[in-house]
Amino acid sequence: MQSGRLGRFLRPSTLKTGFVALLIAVLIALPAAAQTTVRVSGWGGTDIAIVEELIERFVRPAVEPQGIRVVYEPIADAYETYIVNALSAGTAPDVFYVDIFWAEGLMRAGQLEPLNDYLAKSSVLRAEHIIPELLDAFSLNGQIYGIPKDFNTLALFFNKDLFDLAGVPYPDADDDWNTLADKLRRVAALGPDFYGLALQPEYARFGAFALATGWEPFDENGHTNVLDPRFVEAFKWYTGLLADRVGVHPQDVGQGWGGGALSTDQVAAAVEGAWILGFLRDSAPNLAYGAVPLPKHPGTGQRGNLIFTVSWSINARSQVKEEAFKVLEALTSPEAQQWVLERGLALPSRAALVDNPYFAQPDPEAQANLVVFQGASDGYVHPFKFLNYGGDWMAPINDALGAVLLGELDADTALREAQQRFDALTGR
Amino acid sequence: MQEALAAYLFLLPFVLSLLIFFGYAFVRAIYFSFTDYNMFDDPNWVGLANYIAIFRETRFLVALRNSIGFSLIVTACQTAFALVLAVVLNNKIKGIAFFRTAYYMPSVASSVVVTLIFLWAFQRTGLINYVIEWFLQYWPFLAAFLALAAVLQLLQVLWDRSRGRPVRWFEPGAVLTSLMLSAAGVTLLWATGTLSPLEVEPVRIVWLNTRRSIPEGGGWLSLSMPLVSIMMLNTWTTAPTFMLLYLAGLQDIPRELYEAAAVDGANRWQQFRFVTVPQLKHITFLVVALGLIGSLQMFDQVAIIGSAAPLEAVITLAYYVYSNAFPGGALPRVGIASAAAVILSILTLIAVLIQRRVVEGNG
Repeated sequence: MQSGRLGRFLRPSTLKTGFVALLIAVLIALPAAAQTTVRVSGWGGTDIAIVEELIERFVRPAVEPQGIRVVYEPIADAYETYIVNALSAGTAPDVFYVDIFWAEGLMRAGQLEPLNDYLAKSSVLRAEHIIPELLDAFSLNGQIYGIPKDFNTLALFFNKDLFDLAGVPYPDADDDWNTLADKLRRVAALGPDFYGLALQPEYARFGAFALATGWEPFDENGHTNVLDPRFVEAFKWYTGLLADRVGVHPQDVGQGWGGGALSTDQVAAAVEGAWILGFLRDSAPNLAYGAVPLPKHPGTGQRGNLIFTVSWSINARSQVKEEAFKVLEALTSPEAQQWVLERGLALPSRAALVDNPYFAQPDPEAQANLVVFQGASDGYVHPFKFLNYGGDWMAPINDALGAVLLGELDADTALREAQQRFDALTGR
Repeated sequence: MQEALAAYLFLLPFVLSLLIFFGYAFVRAIYFSFTDYNMFDDPNWVGLANYIAIFRETRFLVALRNSIGFSLIVTACQTAFALVLAVVLNNKIKGIAFFRTAYYMPSVASSVVVTLIFLWAFQRTGLINYVIEWFLQYWPFLAAFLALAAVLQLLQVLWDRSRGRPVRWFEPGAVLTSLMLSAAGVTLLWATGTLSPLEVEPVRIVWLNTRRSIPEGGGWLSLSMPLVSIMMLNTWTTAPTFMLLYLAGLQDIPRELYEAAAVDGANRWQQFRFVTVPQLKHITFLVVALGLIGSLQMFDQVAIIGSAAPLEAVITLAYYVYSNAFPGGALPRVGIASAAAVILSILTLIAVLIQRRVVEGNG
């Protein structure tokens, strides 16, 4: 009985079908075998359509004649987790996104290929082409581990109509903390439903103000001091805006972030990056907004800012590194970056593109993009990374901001608690 | 012999997957818990260092406290709630199928979706605060309505009794009349302006993003407000599943037992206490065991609430494991995560063993 069943699978007709299928498979695989395949990965969402078109327009035409086949494998969710797991398991793609926020751990673990030798040999992609602040963010001990594909910084986005209604001049590039707070106070005076600045309780926004005072996230021993008078000053200024509705917790207008708060027409201004533009285009198409650089600290006369950036990096264990670098060259070529910029999708990392006619357009999106672009090299600018502590480093500050902005702790107590956590994390 | 062989053959696929995905993974996790593995460098044997380190870490102790508190309270609440729901829904009244479906909804809906809805409901300008505010504004109406209804009911019953009719205090017909008349009365009071909504401050209770705890200042014994919110959510979403188990159990209780109890003069409560509850003992064991295991491993609701609440306030052991295996922006701390996972599994085992003792001891 047993052998009878097995026999059915060994009947000549089944064997023949199997053989034909095998032959077809081999025939399909043959042309592919003559090529080298480079796997490219990024995250999902709206990014997929952009990268797909980028690859179709700029990468395939450049690398296919050299026998390189590009396969794009977007990851829908939990991208960081996927990359860490895949690198550990040896199944990671050859070229992939690395966010500055978690780049350092991978750089230190030797998982990313140092690009200095490739850049030195390349004719189209050189280190000096890229905005130095961005390249620094992906460098460790003189080695470059990724080519920034684009970046974002923070700017002050404001609702023009509210300022007009209150008869207050718009914020401008000359504002310092005091003059801006004064303008916001006058807008908030419009009525009990109006507020000045959206105050997100996060280092990702507040950090720019802390840096403007000249405060450094880490001292020379790698310790963090949030009881530094400069940090305390920024913290008290930011949380103090809550008085007289000069500032508002986004939750109080039923929103989760500054962009949402700005779109309610109740909040005069928000500190955000260029990512707010797509949101405003879709959710508040009639909002007349403007963007100006963040206010200067009255003492130092400088602005602070954070750089959010993502690189294309190469897997250190890739079998096709030379080919992968060719793909990377095409992904960050001047043409590709110009195309991305002119569609308003992201800010290019190539320094030469600052002269692009796109930035001279009067349209508010182009203007906002220019402000964000220039934010990368204006004042005390730090990349959005914290050695290899990651989110653990931001948590004490975020919790302190949240507790003070919700009125549960006073600033001094909150900062003392935060310092205790930093002492445990970064050492005393 | 032949038959036994066949049985083992049928079991083989399951046993294989169990061995590969649980057995192997478990053994490896135990091994990693004694190393400093970070997924990239070769693991080094560090002995008990991870276990010592996590018991020194405040966050782990908070997670342990949260998990145990969460598990005990949620299991107790959901078991009681499920039993009551099942008994209520076991009645033979019209439209019972609708109520059974309605009460089961929270369990059918995806945990992620329910948590998101919950997040919105508990915002500072969310539904819960709105309902509280509404209640504070309109409570005079509610009070007037209830008082009026009570008076009317009293009058009707006294009137009927004075004429010698044996009516109960909550005679359904009279209740209906009282409620309708009372509603009309309150509407009249409103229209004439005798009653008006109160002026109240907008309610802006912070449910999630807060450091407050209940009871306030209780030290290690008090639970954080956001965790209490998650307990409410978790009880609400898991109780209906256990209600189904209880419903099935209720169908198996012989009618004769209730009849005998009634003959002995037991009232409804005594029937419930001395017939229903003991007869459902085996179901209770299952419900409590599943509840303990599920609530000790609760992860998703903490993960989705994410930054909406301070991590220290809501972290559970399962989330502690995850946050060390995949710390945002840093390299995985697999050793620490594995050690915590081993402790979690030991804790689960102990909980179920104790609970088994208790249930069997009671019988």
